[in-house]
Amino acid sequence: MIRHLLNTTVFRLSLVYALLFSLIAAMAMVSIYWVAESHITRQVDTRLQLEADVFLSRIRAQGPEFLLQRIDSLSRNGDEFSVHVLNHRNFADLLKLFRPEYTTTNGHALFATHPMKDILNYSPTARDDEPARMLLYLLPDSGYQLLVATDMSEQKALLDKMYRSTLMAMAVIIALALFGGGLMGYNVLRRIDSISRTADTIISGDLSQRMHVTWRNDEFDRLSIVVNNMLQRIEQLMIAMRGVTDNLAHDLRNPLNRLRNRLESVRFLNPQSGDYQQANEDAIQDVDELIKTFNALLSIAQAESRVQRKDWSRVDLTTLVNDLGELYSAVTEDKDQQLDCHTETGLVLTANRQLLAQAITNLLDNAVKYTPGGGLIRLEARRDDSSLLVRVSDTGIGIPADKHEHVFERFVRLDNARSSPGNGLGLSLVKAVVDMHGGRITLGDNAPGLVVSLHFPLPTAGLASLPGSDHP
Amino acid sequence: MPYDLGMNILLVEDDSQTASFIRKGLQESGYMVEHTADGLEGLNLALEGQYDALIVDRMLPGLDGLALIQTLRRRRQSVPVLILSALGEVDNRVEGLRAGGDDYLVKPYAFSELLARLQALTRRVQPAQEQTLLRIADLEMDLMKRQVRRADQPILLQPREFKLLEYLMHNAGQVVTRTMLLEKVWDYHFDPQTNVIDVHISRLRSKIDRDFHPPLLHTVRGAGYMLHDTSPA
Repeated sequence: MIRHLLNTTVFRLSLVYALLFSLIAAMAMVSIYWVAESHITRQVDTRLQLEADVFLSRIRAQGPEFLLQRIDSLSRNGDEFSVHVLNHRNFADLLKLFRPEYTTTNGHALFATHPMKDILNYSPTARDDEPARMLLYLLPDSGYQLLVATDMSEQKALLDKMYRSTLMAMAVIIALALFGGGLMGYNVLRRIDSISRTADTIISGDLSQRMHVTWRNDEFDRLSIVVNNMLQRIEQLMIAMRGVTDNLAHDLRNPLNRLRNRLESVRFLNPQSGDYQQANEDAIQDVDELIKTFNALLSIAQAESRVQRKDWSRVDLTTLVNDLGELYSAVTEDKDQQLDCHTETGLVLTANRQLLAQAITNLLDNAVKYTPGGGLIRLEARRDDSSLLVRVSDTGIGIPADKHEHVFERFVRLDNARSSPGNGLGLSLVKAVVDMHGGRITLGDNAPGLVVSLHFPLPTAGLASLPGSDHP
Repeated sequence: MPYDLGMNILLVEDDSQTASFIRKGLQESGYMVEHTADGLEGLNLALEGQYDALIVDRMLPGLDGLALIQTLRRRRQSVPVLILSALGEVDNRVEGLRAGGDDYLVKPYAFSELLARLQALTRRVQPAQEQTLLRIADLEMDLMKRQVRRADQPILLQPREFKLLEYLMHNAGQVVTRTMLLEKVWDYHFDPQTNVIDVHISRLRSKIDRDFHPPLLHTVRGAGYMLHDTSPA
């Protein structure tokens, strides 16, 4: 788990962020420290200057010699300042020793931080090893120098405290970042482990498993929802495929058996006899029926899989329906039925033209088959409020309302249809094709007869007209 | 003459039973057939030999059928190709035709279907197609004026009937199947349950044959239809 955790992107990211953030924090703190330090130093320097000014005014009044005698008592603030008079003849040596940070008062006042003993030949107090802030004032025209020094330990303690709390803050930041990163990494890892476990179960064959979706609605949940939808689709397809396979086995077994029997019986016939010829013809017809059933099942499977988007195109529904009406008008005329074809102009949808035509053809086949002579078949295509509507109505035997859902199942043939040719796949294909195009199919009673309505979704605005039809 | 005799066909098909069946059938119909089961060998033969048509299975050892046809077309070989395939969905068909195939026949098929399509293909390379005036016996079809006359009497045809007759006349003397008519005249690649084609043919027949002699539009049992002048020349 720990190794996994260290390998998560989230953990690595939080590590990088922790380092980056610490670096920025360190830079900020260093600059604050630096500003604070220089500010404190300036304050001390001002006070040193003030202290020195007291002595300078006396010196101006009484001459520097006064300092040599009375200096200790002149230091007003007890311990805070120590004041010394130096008498360095070699001024350059003194400067080398003092290394001023900056000077004021026309170069007479020099400021620096040193341990006292570095400058003085004697040690006035025990704390002289500590760096002290000092002002060296060059007394004009006398060869004497005034040294005012103050102990920096309090300021130093403050800065030290600041320094330590900076370090502490950095440590806390890094620790928090690592902890947070670890926590986030752990959470991500847990979610991903859950997804992988589900995926493993699915791989091992249980397609009913779904990814766990939490209440958080985060990116993992959204991913899980998408994956679940995909799994749902795959499962549906698997079930549909299994259904096709089962039905195939069921429905092809009988005709195959019939064919086999027929071919076996042919063995005993004289090849010259008429019976032999007839058996041969019958066998070929059996095979043709088998092929038809097989092709119908394949078309249904193709429509149900909804994956063959390649052969989709914009289909002029008006023309398609008119063509089919024309194709079947000859048939209905032949059977003494009347076919009325009504189409609105300019109906266009994106569709698989062949499957769409096949679906409408199946409806017309049914209408022709189940409508008696003298009956009326109506083929319509129009736009209603919410859909493109293709409707085939007849005055035939109809379908009882309680069987309406039933007839879309494969190989279902109603009792009154069993005597007529057909494989019970026609309406299954129609439904599959309509579903494939995102539409819906409704059955109604034409009293007498059947009304089948196919509702296809209206195309989006950009596709509503034929190409070029709105260009002069 | 119903069949073009002496035509040389290259058959590239890896299933030996299918191949020998096709070969036998074609030879009985007067074709000379050369057969190979290997796609690459088929390509070499097609590039070397003089064939009137190729029958190519889509899935072949050595070289895929579509690749064979594409290579052939890149070498500017325009020999007509009939593709045989177990892949029958519309976009498979489109792929086949786009690769350079001239027609596409899905397994399983009737031999009469194969023969009819092969004849239509070998016929197409002859210049008859360029004509705007088609004629068989005393039946005349003017493609420019869109007029049909038989024995100098005008015959009125619906647009679709005109198209149907045009296809039949282009393939006069040859069998055309119902599936071919559905594909070429109506552009539907499926078989309706109802025999819609039969009805349209009988309508057309009543217009061009009923009042005239001899009958030109014949039903070929178990195969399809043929526009054919049977009167002695």
